[in-house]
Amino acid sequence: MAVTYELMKDTARRLYERSLKGIPENSKLALADALQTETSEAAQKTLRFMLASAARAEERDTYVCSDAGFPVYFVKIGTRVQFSGDLKKAIVDSFDELVATIQPPILKFVTNPLTGERSYRGKDMPHVTWDLISDADYVDITCSPKALGSGRWAALEVFSYPTLEEIERYILEVSIKAGSQHCPPVVIGVGIGGSFDHAAKLAKLQTLRPFGTKNPEPILAGMEARLTEAINATGFGPMGTGGDTTALGVHIDYASGHGFTPVAVCFNCWINRRTRARIYNSGEVEVVE
Amino acid sequence: MSERVLDLPITPEVARSLQLGDMVYLRGEAVVTAGFPTHQRLAACIDNGEPPPVEFAGKAFLHLGVMSEERDGALQALYVNPTTSTRFNAFMPKIISQLGLTVAAGKGGLDEASVATMRAEGCVYLSMLGGGAPLLTDGIAEVVEAGWPDLIAQFRLTRLRLDMFGPLKVAIDAHGNSRYAELTESARAKLPEIMEMLARRRNEQA
Repeated sequence: MAVTYELMKDTARRLYERSLKGIPENSKLALADALQTETSEAAQKTLRFMLASAARAEERDTYVCSDAGFPVYFVKIGTRVQFSGDLKKAIVDSFDELVATIQPPILKFVTNPLTGERSYRGKDMPHVTWDLISDADYVDITCSPKALGSGRWAALEVFSYPTLEEIERYILEVSIKAGSQHCPPVVIGVGIGGSFDHAAKLAKLQTLRPFGTKNPEPILAGMEARLTEAINATGFGPMGTGGDTTALGVHIDYASGHGFTPVAVCFNCWINRRTRARIYNSGEVEVVE
Repeated sequence: MSERVLDLPITPEVARSLQLGDMVYLRGEAVVTAGFPTHQRLAACIDNGEPPPVEFAGKAFLHLGVMSEERDGALQALYVNPTTSTRFNAFMPKIISQLGLTVAAGKGGLDEASVATMRAEGCVYLSMLGGGAPLLTDGIAEVVEAGWPDLIAQFRLTRLRLDMFGPLKVAIDAHGNSRYAELTESARAKLPEIMEMLARRRNEQA
């Protein structure tokens, strides 16, 4: 048995569609928890509208947000996986197929930054990050369509031997600059260390980590808890119109590197769209999220 | 805070009667777009003394993208969704004052220059729910016409008839108050206190 082109294409397409037409169960729980702690009545109302919007999108098989973004996938390949067909092409073709068949049709968001021209295709589309998993017999795919309404507020700075205080101040300042703009309550992903590109990738991957999961590094677990408290103390609230719920979570990862330390901060909006599946050598497709 | 249904167009006096945090729903005509080139064209129309391709009868301009489809010769909205207003900051004072707008809407707010224009003209800014496509689409009664059809769907200048369109929240009033500016100012003012809290928590962990 093998992971086939057809299976990969079909799974990638289905993950994209599902990510647009609902929000992760884990995000629903986080929003429901926030309703319990939010003290502003107006902000509670906004949180309820968010949950109602997500529920109605699922009932009607339509989009929570009309901005379908551009296709972003994270693919991890088990070292025992057998392939049949061109896996890379399967992902490219899956987006073409999605555009041709999805109902209601999605709008054009893929933008050429040099000409401003919009289409469904473009250079380096879809964005795919490839990785390996030792000794696994499956391909693990996460789909996280990205729109830059929240993404545009991401920032990275390379510090010279920073203290934890300097790092925390930077994360807070980037969050205050984003203010009301990124469709809060957001998830904040932070990458500390490594190199410019690696810190950014770590931050992005942390936005995909489910709420409520504990950071295995005690220093970071403490940092996540206090920064969540700090960012919620800023008061921007749901949709940035005031309240206690600005971030549903701050998720941080680090990598060893040089003494000069990049710190990357990025955001995902309250919808926090992501879907994930595993395709096994046996042909079985397991929906993880 | 109150909850009101506004029949468009509203007068500058009605706009001035609205307060930050009021929840409103809209009924009547509005013109919408999510496009930057659309704002450039609209500003050029105003500069050249040309009328825009669609009428702003409801005096309401929303930063909203529309996906519509032609069915039985008429356009029907399949879904709508708000977009970030701040990227249109440069155009909004001119558009608000020259088209006599009393309602602007989108997400994320507008800058100081727009707030001042809104105060002078009697116009409010309403915050729409980002990711509220299913709720907001229910408030679209009709796609009346779409101007500049050479642009992609969400960029066209589209005239809609709304019925109980919302929920919307007054986030900039017609008296120079912006919830966005207030919150940013207050967050900056709290920064030293928040940094102290972080220091305490770090010490507790150490």
